[in-house]
Amino acid sequence: MNDSINEKEIQKKVRREAFKRNWLLFRQSTLGMIGLGIVFFFFILAILQPILFLTGAWNEAVYHPVVGYEEIKVNLLVVECPDEYPTEKYESSNACPGDGEITQRQIYNPNINPEVGDIHVALLQPSPPSARHLLGTDSLGRDIFSQIMEGSQVAFLLGLLSAIIGVSISTILGTIAAFYGGRVDAYLMRQSDLVLMLPSLPLLFIISAFAELKIWHLAIVLGVIGGLGGSVITIKSQALQVKVKPFVDSARITGGSNMTILFSHILPNVAPLALLFMVFSVTGAIASESILSFLGLLNIEMSWGIMIYLSQTDGYIFSGMAYWWLILPAGLAVTFLAGGFYLVGRGLDDVFNPRLRKR
Amino acid sequence: MTKYIINRFLQLVLVFFVFLVSSYLLFNAMPGDAFTSLLLNPQLPPDAYEKTIALYGLDRPLSERVIKYVQNFFKGDFGFSYRYYPKSPIELIAERLPRTLMLFALVNIISFYTGFLVGKILAWRRGSKSETWLTLASVLSYTVFYPWFALLMLWFFGYKMGWFPIGKFLYPEKWYDAPFDSDVVFMMMIKFTVVVSIIQFIAYLFTRNIESLSLRRNARLLSLVLIFIGSYFYWNTGDALIKKPYAADISFHMILPTIVVTIVAFAGTALLTRTTMMEVLKEDYIQTARAKGLSQKRIRDRHAARTALLPVVTSFIFTIVTIIDGSVLTEQIFSWPGMGQLLLQAVLNEDIPVAMAAFSFVGIFALVAHFVADISYAYLDPRIRIKSQG
Repeated sequence: MNDSINEKEIQKKVRREAFKRNWLLFRQSTLGMIGLGIVFFFFILAILQPILFLTGAWNEAVYHPVVGYEEIKVNLLVVECPDEYPTEKYESSNACPGDGEITQRQIYNPNINPEVGDIHVALLQPSPPSARHLLGTDSLGRDIFSQIMEGSQVAFLLGLLSAIIGVSISTILGTIAAFYGGRVDAYLMRQSDLVLMLPSLPLLFIISAFAELKIWHLAIVLGVIGGLGGSVITIKSQALQVKVKPFVDSARITGGSNMTILFSHILPNVAPLALLFMVFSVTGAIASESILSFLGLLNIEMSWGIMIYLSQTDGYIFSGMAYWWLILPAGLAVTFLAGGFYLVGRGLDDVFNPRLRKR
Repeated sequence: MTKYIINRFLQLVLVFFVFLVSSYLLFNAMPGDAFTSLLLNPQLPPDAYEKTIALYGLDRPLSERVIKYVQNFFKGDFGFSYRYYPKSPIELIAERLPRTLMLFALVNIISFYTGFLVGKILAWRRGSKSETWLTLASVLSYTVFYPWFALLMLWFFGYKMGWFPIGKFLYPEKWYDAPFDSDVVFMMMIKFTVVVSIIQFIAYLFTRNIESLSLRRNARLLSLVLIFIGSYFYWNTGDALIKKPYAADISFHMILPTIVVTIVAFAGTALLTRTTMMEVLKEDYIQTARAKGLSQKRIRDRHAARTALLPVVTSFIFTIVTIIDGSVLTEQIFSWPGMGQLLLQAVLNEDIPVAMAAFSFVGIFALVAHFVADISYAYLDPRIRIKSQG
């Protein structure tokens, strides 16, 4: 009884020390630390939004990413554009109406009929960044910063969920294929050939035609496709290298069953590679989600991809940098979070692969 | 070994069969079909839809259609496209495939070459400030949200600066009185590019064993100059002279997609090369080379980079396999009428014969590549070889 407690404590201590050592190694990698910083930043963004709503710092009617709305009014001077250019005030037809001006024609409301020189009160949407809306609002008067926060929640949920599903599948199948070999191996390898043969984007198109994809469904679909594909092959080759190590033989000689060998000897040694795969597949999942929502195929209320989809369908993406807050934040968020996870993966690579270390 | 190959080949055929049947079922399970729009047209007689369905044999039971399709597939009969009716899928693919292959082969060659160079330098300068910044930049260009980035580039270079056309394959107004098809000109361009690359590759092979670095560089420069002179004469004589303005039009449309995809694609190679090269630099023979007092450049280029090239070449081959899959998004954004666009349109319109033909084309490509990779690994890896004999 006493011995087993001691053993557990020793195991705990060993694990803690291994973790400390790995953390020291990870800290040496500048790129990994930068990546961790980026991921941490977006994580703070993701959890900050519910806190702001709960504490009442943000009013949900105004800041809700999907149904929030705020009227932002602006006073515009009604002017008349000249027939011929250039005049004193306007150089060309592009310059009229200028900033803070509006022509009679541009007021679509037939109930009001302002004269030239009047002040017209118009709704300003999308409105530029201000103290109240840090990144401005979109064409429906919704806060962009809040949408970015919502998008990072979606990205974390989807990325981590699909990565965990995918890596569990590929790790279990890869070790089984390596351990049993023969027919099981042949079947699993041909199965991943089959998945690799299907063109990924058209396949996702077809799947999205069957069902309205929500975040959960998409996470499962991406996880299964990723988990059955190429990563099984890589994990299998790693597990093959572990399988021929002497400690596996000694476990077998001392009477370890197949299951024991598989789960307590081979799997732990494949785990670092699996963790690495998981971090890299988060990158892929975030990109896939954004591409699918960019193409308008997902049934998600708000995500970074949808923000870009909206700015594209509203025609702002070709209006250049005049409406930069509609275009840049979402695209940069996708790029940086995916890049952050990639960099963390590179840092972990330095930890687990001794051949990559500096010394 | 022969037994292993035969066994593997039988598995390949089986996998392809499963692939064919399952993708047919997948397409068939999609809601609606290619002719649903006939139901919505009030000017057509009410039985037009049923008649068309019966004409294409789509009213038969599913099992019969699948069996018929697979039988015809192995006879080499792919049916007719529903959308472009008199054309067969093979004709459509033959028209679209060269465009995709040309664009993406060019992109891949450029991006692998530059990616390899950049990755080599990154690994060599490990730990320095410039390395960190360059690696960060390559990671961001690797993970950049691609459609967004492409649209921004299209806006900047095509719309704001007006340097390049916004998408498309050619300017139709330039081709009104053209005496020949655009595909004829395009095939000629492909032939020209292939010949030039072969000559360049041969020149590279001949010069790679020249010991002196400066002499080697000069020899390569000379071969480049010769190629330029040769192509100048080619495009200014005879048949090519008439086609030159049209060829120039097509290549003008190719520049922007090439640049944009290269920026995204080169980073993957650079990061891969960086990692493998870092592993190679820890090997003992690099220490030996240093101890021998060889110059830094020689160690980097001739000792380390050559070994690091192997995984990069493997990844290059697998990238070529996924060209069509990867081209879907790019071709959609740049309205490049290639294979990816054909595949996507066929899937969206449920043009099942074309979609099936395109899918199986992609599938055969991937299957054969994996088959060849497995066989060559089996030759190289004694574990597999022994197992197959015993």
